[in-house]
Formats: sequence, C-alpha cells, structure tokens
Amino acid sequence: MAEEHAPQQHHSGPPSSSGHSGGPGGPGGPRPQGGRPGPGGPAKRGKRNFVRKKKVCRFCVDKVDYIDYKKAEVLTSFIQERGKILPRRMTGTCARHQRWLTVAIKRAQNIALLPFAAEL
Amino acid sequence: MEERQYDLIFICRPDTPEADIDKVIATLEHTATEKGSRIEKTEKWGRKRMAYRVSRLREGFYVYMDVRSANGEVVKELERRLKVADAVIKYLTIRVDEELKRQEKLKRHRERRAARRPRKTVPTAAPAPASEQSAAAI
Repeated sequence: MAEEHAPQQHHSGPPSSSGHSGGPGGPGGPRPQGGRPGPGGPAKRGKRNFVRKKKVCRFCVDKVDYIDYKKAEVLTSFIQERGKILPRRMTGTCARHQRWLTVAIKRAQNIALLPFAAEL
Repeated sequence: MEERQYDLIFICRPDTPEADIDKVIATLEHTATEKGSRIEKTEKWGRKRMAYRVSRLREGFYVYMDVRSANGEVVKELERRLKVADAVIKYLTIRVDEELKRQEKLKRHRERRAARRPRKTVPTAAPAPASEQSAAAI
C-alpha cells in the first residue's frame, strides 16, 4: 500500500505546471527545473522525467591537443562569473582536457588575461 | 643541452610611447642574442584591458615573445631586465616546448591511426549502398 501512495505524493507523471496548484509546491513534488541540466546520469523513469542532454567534452570534439592559455576567449566559457573554474560535471569536459584546461586558465590568470576573482 | 622554447609575455604601462616599448624589445633581443639564444618572433598585442588591476592600472600594452634558448640563464637575465624596466608592470615566462612536443606526438598518433584504419569513412559509406539496394528492391 505504501508503495502505491508514494508515487502519488510525488506527483508521478509528467512534471507540469499544474502540479503546483496547491500552495508553494508540496514537499517532494517535482522541483522547478532550471535551465541547465544538472549532473547525473540519464533521467529516471517516473518521478523526474526530463531529458538530460549527454554532455561531451568540447575539446575532444574539436580534437584539441593543446589548450592555449593565450586564447582567453576560449577559456572564459569555462570559468564562472566570479572567476572560478567550472567543474567537469558542469561542462562535461573529459579528465584529460580538464587537467590541461586548469593549467591554461591558471596561466592566463597570471598574466591578467583572466581574473582570479571578479572585482566588486 | 637541448633547445627549449619559452613564451615571454610582458605588459607595459598603457601610456608608454611606442618608442619606449620598442626600446625594451630591442634590449631583450640584444640580451638574448648575447647569451647565445634567439627570439623567434615578437608580437605586439597592443593595448588590452587587463582582467584585474595591476599597479592601479586597468589597461596594459601586451607584448608577446617566442624565445628559444638552450640554457636557463637567459630567462633569468631577461626577467631581470624586465624587472628593471620602468615601463613594464608585469611579465611572465612559460616553458612550452614540452607541451608542444606532446601536442605533436598526439597529432602524429592521431594521423597514424586515421591512416591505418579509415573507420570514419566506412560506416558512412556502408549505409548508403544499402539504402540504394533497398530502394532498388522497392
């Protein structure tokens, strides 16, 4: 019985806006999904069925063998607004390229091409 | 000793006259050649906005140099010169030959693999005749 109740509490089915009819969203109800797909594997059937796009390493796609620290425009897409380096789980970069990328970003920071931390 | 490759970047005050920057470049070139190494190329990136303030300046004049040297003493001397130069507010030397060597290696590896088995072309070529055959059958 408890197993039958559980899915109802979780508003099983497609997470639609109508699910939020009562109050500020029931506990455990479908959360409003943000724009970017979060980390994790493929979407589970049932509760949260939104499609996560499989992220691929952008450097692998372009077959990059050397990440140039001088090309700050390329590197800016891998840092946060505040200047932090984005983790692999956010960008989908493979381990090898992330390793090169961090080095490149740190070098660029040293010569003021990229910020260590955003000012103000 | 094997020749090494360095990237040398320095930033000048944005209000320095071009002639002064040229003078700095000339001194560096002179120093390098004197010590038995060479500067492969010099690029003036020009005035750029810096990502953070350096000696209370927001902008700087970037100059990039590709230095080839067989002994590290040259780098030491070049950096000393940069430290002394009044116009220079920031500099950075990075040894890059090992990474470029790695890049070459990976590139060669990739090319060799591509040559050995042209796998990329096979799947695209295979379905096409199949579809033609099926189309012919219909």
